[in-house]
Amino acid sequence: MDAIRITNLVKHYGAVTAVENLSLSVRSGRIFGFLGPNGSGKSTTIGCLTGLLDPTSGTVELLGEVFDSENAAIKKRIGVMPETLGLFDPLYAQEFLAFVARMFGLDEVTTRQRVTELLDALELTDSSKTLAEYSTGMRKRVAFAAAVIHSPEVLFLDEPFESIDPAGVALMKQWLRRFADQGRTVFMTTHVLETVERICHDIAIITRPGKLVWEGDVTLLANDGSLTYNGQEFRTLESLFLHLTGEKYTDLNWL
Amino acid sequence: MNFQLIGVLIRLRYRLLWAKTRTRNGKIALFFAGYLLLVMVISLLAAGGVGAGMTAVRSGKGTLIAGALLGGIYAQAIVASVVLGFGMTAIFSETELRRYPVRALERRLTRHFIGIVDPYWLLFLALDLGIALGLYLFGAGSFWFGLAAVLLLFCSNYVAARVLGMLVDRLMMKKGGSAIMLVCMMLLGFLPATLGPVIRRHPRILDAVARLWQSTPPAGAAVAMTQSNLAALSGLGLILLWMAALLAVLVVLERRPPKTRVAQASKVAWETPFDRIGAIFGPQTGPLVAHWLRFYSRHNRFRTIYPLALPLAAFLQFFLGRRLGSAGSFPISLSVFLILGFIGTGQFAVNQFGYVGGGFRRFLLLPTGAAAAFRAGSYMFIMLSAALILPAAVLWSLFMPARFDPRAIVMLVAASVFSLFLFHGIGLWTSLLGPRRGNYNQSFGNDLSFAGNIVVVGGMLSLLFLPQVAAKQWPNAITPDYWLVAILAALLAAVFYFTSLHFATALFRVKRESLMVLLEGKS
Repeated sequence: MDAIRITNLVKHYGAVTAVENLSLSVRSGRIFGFLGPNGSGKSTTIGCLTGLLDPTSGTVELLGEVFDSENAAIKKRIGVMPETLGLFDPLYAQEFLAFVARMFGLDEVTTRQRVTELLDALELTDSSKTLAEYSTGMRKRVAFAAAVIHSPEVLFLDEPFESIDPAGVALMKQWLRRFADQGRTVFMTTHVLETVERICHDIAIITRPGKLVWEGDVTLLANDGSLTYNGQEFRTLESLFLHLTGEKYTDLNWL
Repeated sequence: MNFQLIGVLIRLRYRLLWAKTRTRNGKIALFFAGYLLLVMVISLLAAGGVGAGMTAVRSGKGTLIAGALLGGIYAQAIVASVVLGFGMTAIFSETELRRYPVRALERRLTRHFIGIVDPYWLLFLALDLGIALGLYLFGAGSFWFGLAAVLLLFCSNYVAARVLGMLVDRLMMKKGGSAIMLVCMMLLGFLPATLGPVIRRHPRILDAVARLWQSTPPAGAAVAMTQSNLAALSGLGLILLWMAALLAVLVVLERRPPKTRVAQASKVAWETPFDRIGAIFGPQTGPLVAHWLRFYSRHNRFRTIYPLALPLAAFLQFFLGRRLGSAGSFPISLSVFLILGFIGTGQFAVNQFGYVGGGFRRFLLLPTGAAAAFRAGSYMFIMLSAALILPAAVLWSLFMPARFDPRAIVMLVAASVFSLFLFHGIGLWTSLLGPRRGNYNQSFGNDLSFAGNIVVVGGMLSLLFLPQVAAKQWPNAITPDYWLVAILAALLAAVFYFTSLHFATALFRVKRESLMVLLEGKS
């Protein structure tokens, strides 16, 4: 079954096209890497998939149902770590997570238990600091905790690993693998291609403006296999990515 | 001194301003602001300055009158700047300017040069210039001394407002700061009424005050504008002395930035009074209401303004009541109760999402209708403002009327409910159509859009004066006999609020993407 299905998705910002006729699907139980250069429309696509943005045209189906920004029942089953994190700076981590948990319908006892466990696991136990006083990495951890606290069936992560220390990244990867093993789905964007090779099952690569140029299984690389595009073989994801998005080398003689 | 880079940074500020005005709303705002400024400058220059100069010269008390006028302008500029936040916006913070290869002195110069050329300050420059011109035209002073005095006075006015603004800001960040501020405001308000009889009994006090007045910047400027040679130079010297002292204080304050105080919870609790209050609204809206309460309870500005609402209403009742006597007491009470309906939460309710920043995105990800947070925020403001009405009514019935009339109480409460629903209904629309990204950590200042200012300032002034005007026109209309009309008006306002809530909710869905962009500081 497809956990996510996008059909002919188009998003315009005035005269600017951010996503152009994008269609793809993600099977349940897979970790899906959504890649592309800066400004290619990754965050816009995630915005349309999570109800932050309304598509100009096209449809989004999540967990077998057509999804739009007012579909609260589906929103309850997905977790999102947005690009800008969406935190309320004057709150403490515990308060913020408890608020999110209550909004997602968790009862009092479960809320306390999960908030405490997440804060412990993600080493966010310094209760004297508000979210405004946290470092960028700690803020990311809080946003990640908020995305998973209600144990969603589909998890959307927009650049989840940037600014987080290696121990934190290792923990998050471990959780994501277990998450997928349980039949749930992860849809993530990142620029760290090594991470994608190690953790993702499938990927899609888009170029500006939100145009799909490649999608397929990347687990082949882990088994010494290769990825193919127009009959050409690529031994690493980086070489395929650079080929598709246009490798460029400009020599600045003053640098 | 790297004047070239300072120039580049100042130009950058105006490039940013121009980038904003390229939007449709920006062009409209620019047109209105430019038009208003032009009309005001022309009328003030013509009527105020020249007229004042003429009066001053003809009365033979040029220095005295010019000093009084300049002092009034000086004080108005400071009050409007510190209390309402006009002309206080920091375009580039010290941290932002540190990115560029400019030294501390150059950074300070850049920030304050950008600050002083704000249109708000230019308006006061125009006023001062008008007076100097008027005095010169009617032969009371030298043009060049007058010009020098205006420029120095203008700079000292800006620095004085900055210094006072910073002091007030720091006071508000301290525990009990808002209480101290309240006492200061009350004292300031009561001062004229208290001083009158004291001065009549001890006329020497007036001489001492006059001597003190002689050593202020406006008095110095008045001397420079109306005298010549040494006397004028001494006036300019006095302003320069003040400038030096104020600049020294400014530098000291800026070198010791305050620690931002967020209300600390020694132990973060699971169940707080906010959650218990929120629970009244049910499981869907309750957590959102509790969240808004928690969010605003840590907002320095909200913590300052909301607790001041009731004392301010009492002060208005007392102060205006003394001036107008018992004949005008009921219309004044009506004004006070009307204002009470929105004064505590008004400036937040008209820009509901102004302080949430990136948190706005979170609201859209929650498993509720997109506008649930919008509705919950409005309910919270309504609830907080409504909470002020009953204590006000009890206090009024205890202290005010000579003869207790229950109809008067009903009418006053209904008037409060009327403005509560009317202004919070309008606030829904301005939150969506005229939002502005505010600074959560600032205790004072003006974070409202043009529309927001019109609603808050215009609303306050019209509610303050309309009942008095109506009472003069139709003396029998503003009496407790019309208590039923007040109830009807309150009901109509409630209908307006709930209708607005319905339609604004639909508009929220349309506007949410542009709101997100604005609140995250991307436009």
